Amino acid sequence: MSAPKLSIDRVGKRFDAAGHASTVAVQDFTLDVHRGEFLAIVGPSGCGKTTVLNLLAGLELPSEGSVAIDGRQIAGPAPERGVMFQDYALFPWQTVEGNVAFGLRYGPAGAGMSDAARADRVRKCIDLVGLAGSEHKYPHQLSGGMRQRTALARLMAMEPQVLLMDEPLAALDAQTRIILQGELLRIWGQERPASERRTVVFITHAIDEAVFLADRVAVMTSHPGRLKALIDVTLPRPRDDATRATPAFQALVQTIWALIRDEAYRAIVT
Amino acid sequence: MNARPFDFARGALLPIALVTLWQAWVMLAGPSRAPVPTRVALAAWDLVASNELPMALLQSVGRVFGGFAVAAALAVPLGLAMGTSARVERALDPLVESFRPIAAIAILPLAILWLGTGTAAAVAIVAYAAFFPIVINTVAGAQRVPATLLRAAATMGLGRAATLRTVVIPSALPSIGTGLRIGMGVAWTAIVAAELAVGAKAGGGGSGGVGQMMFVYYAYSIELNRIVVCMIAVGLVAFALDRLIRGALAFAMPWTAR
Amino acid sequence: MAFTEDTVVRTVRTAATRPARRAGTALSFVRTMLVFAVAWELLSTWTANPTLLPSPVAVLEALRELALDGELFRHAGVSLSRMVVSLAIAAGLAVPLGFAMGFSGSFDRIVDPTIELLRPISGIAWIPLALFLFGIGNALPVFIMTYAAFFPILLGTVAGVRGTDARLVDAARTMGVPLSTIVIRVVAPAALPSLMVALRLGIATAWTAVVAAELIGAPSGVGYAVEWYRELLMTPQVMAFIATIGFLGYLTDRAARSLSERWSPWAPKRSEA
Repeated sequence: MSAPKLSIDRVGKRFDAAGHASTVAVQDFTLDVHRGEFLAIVGPSGCGKTTVLNLLAGLELPSEGSVAIDGRQIAGPAPERGVMFQDYALFPWQTVEGNVAFGLRYGPAGAGMSDAARADRVRKCIDLVGLAGSEHKYPHQLSGGMRQRTALARLMAMEPQVLLMDEPLAALDAQTRIILQGELLRIWGQERPASERRTVVFITHAIDEAVFLADRVAVMTSHPGRLKALIDVTLPRPRDDATRATPAFQALVQTIWALIRDEAYRAIVT
Repeated sequence: MNARPFDFARGALLPIALVTLWQAWVMLAGPSRAPVPTRVALAAWDLVASNELPMALLQSVGRVFGGFAVAAALAVPLGLAMGTSARVERALDPLVESFRPIAAIAILPLAILWLGTGTAAAVAIVAYAAFFPIVINTVAGAQRVPATLLRAAATMGLGRAATLRTVVIPSALPSIGTGLRIGMGVAWTAIVAAELAVGAKAGGGGSGGVGQMMFVYYAYSIELNRIVVCMIAVGLVAFALDRLIRGALAFAMPWTAR
Repeated sequence: MAFTEDTVVRTVRTAATRPARRAGTALSFVRTMLVFAVAWELLSTWTANPTLLPSPVAVLEALRELALDGELFRHAGVSLSRMVVSLAIAAGLAVPLGFAMGFSGSFDRIVDPTIELLRPISGIAWIPLALFLFGIGNALPVFIMTYAAFFPILLGTVAGVRGTDARLVDAARTMGVPLSTIVIRVVAPAALPSLMVALRLGIATAWTAVVAAELIGAPSGVGYAVEWYRELLMTPQVMAFIATIGFLGYLTDRAARSLSERWSPWAPKRSEA
């Protein structure tokens, strides 16, 4: 395989909060993410998954080791590594259209674009996520699923090379969640050839979600956060509801659960 | 919808009862000078017809708008600067917090000393009074921009100036609006107080406005019914100004959920 | 979410940084006030008119004299005692009324319109009428302050009572607790934080009103003193009393805040806007 898209090399991250002893969030973490791959990261609460995502996003800098994209070290946030936040981070004073266009209008991703080209791309992204007709609604008028799709459209509009997603479906009810998992795969391009897909790093608590969506699943342990295992998900694509019923799917879920079960129990007790 | 007229009747019950009691008490047992609802109504008619009340109100409201505009023009930029820069906040907050407990009316003697008893002093007092709620709420709004929105802007590659313009200010707008609303209320109270105080001390002349009118009717012509009319007018204008600003804010912020 | 939201992200280039309130606050306070005092001194030297703008030193002198001969404390004491009396009366009226209004929807619907009609008429607008009723003296400032403090305390009490989580009341009812006990043991504690905030607001409003009331209609008190010295064109004394007004306002707010934290330790400590 060619050089990895993203490489995390022996990274450690320490937080020194004033008045408390420093916390080691992540330790000795090494992981490569390949181009066009859908990588999921699972682990018990507090295992540092979000920290790893923030390091890839450039919102945090590592205390040790390095994080790189295409061999270039990551020094800060940029639209090439788009982020979808757990609470969607929609701007409440902008409509759906305003939110989706935001990065193009005010950031470097839209530099040099004519108004027409920008409006065209915005419209395409809104159609892509299935929100045509809701362009002029404000976030408070949208359901949870619609907000999530707006955030996704905003992300796609900047045509990032990498999509970093921090538990984007966590705030949704179980049924909406299942539907949007399918939508996510469609938008990502699971029905298109692999070379046309974008690189995705996806954080989740839900193991079944990770197995359903991803090509590989990274399993983390907590205190400190470390990479415990890297599981290949060889389920064929395109995946759908039927995939969830297959024995291969169930087996993978069980394997991963076995890896984190003890820690998850401990996390509740302490 | 049928409940509406019933609710209105029930709400009007107590005020009407109180007014009736007031009228009865004065007619039966009250001192001859006491204000009476019937004479108050007549006085209201007189004052409006003779244009005295509208002119006085106009003068007071004009001063309020002037002082409010000055306060907002100073307080909003300052509040944004303080809310986005820890250094600026540390430097200026001691001054703001030291002067905040000093009510505008306490500054009035100084204002009169420096600016005389006319409109300049009145506008200065109003501006001083309105300044603090506006700046404090602006700072709070700028400081409480959700971190997640700032992060989202960072990941979209926005720089500091663009983030201030497109994220911090819109996000802080509701708080700024609250500050403006409170500031308007405080401004109106301050102008009435200032005009009253100047009217009392400057011998009834020179300050103008509804506050001074009230004092004149106390000290000179002892027209208590007219004083009550002025009081009601003060209340009505306070209500109207609040509605006005609320409407303006709702217009400026169509995204706020009702 | 612990790491992402609460951590101070030093490495992120964003427009707003959360000010570190504790670190160096005292130091920066002193530094700012020093700069302010120096600027004031320079300005007063430049205008060279001690009646118009006395130097900070002159004001401090005046403050010292007033403190030494007791005049400062006399006036301050008078104003403070008036405020305490007013607050007691205002709270004594507003809190029970607020409970009644918060509890009974129909009572609220009868009384609320009257309250809303009276509220926009500020306490200060009552001064001329009150002068007629009470004349110049102690009663006037107390009346004005009571009126001024009444409304914030009432509104805060109603909000606190209404804001009581209905599920807490339900839980008590399922335990068979009688209504009167629920009021005392569930609603009152639940409403206490809101009440304390309202009390603080009432204090601030009353303190503003006292200055206005004393300026116009009282023979003593800090508001009266400010005006008295202005008429005598003794500006250092005017400023000394203005500073005292500010300081006392700050003190009373602090006192109210620590009282509220003592009485409702379970309420979130938030600095008000």
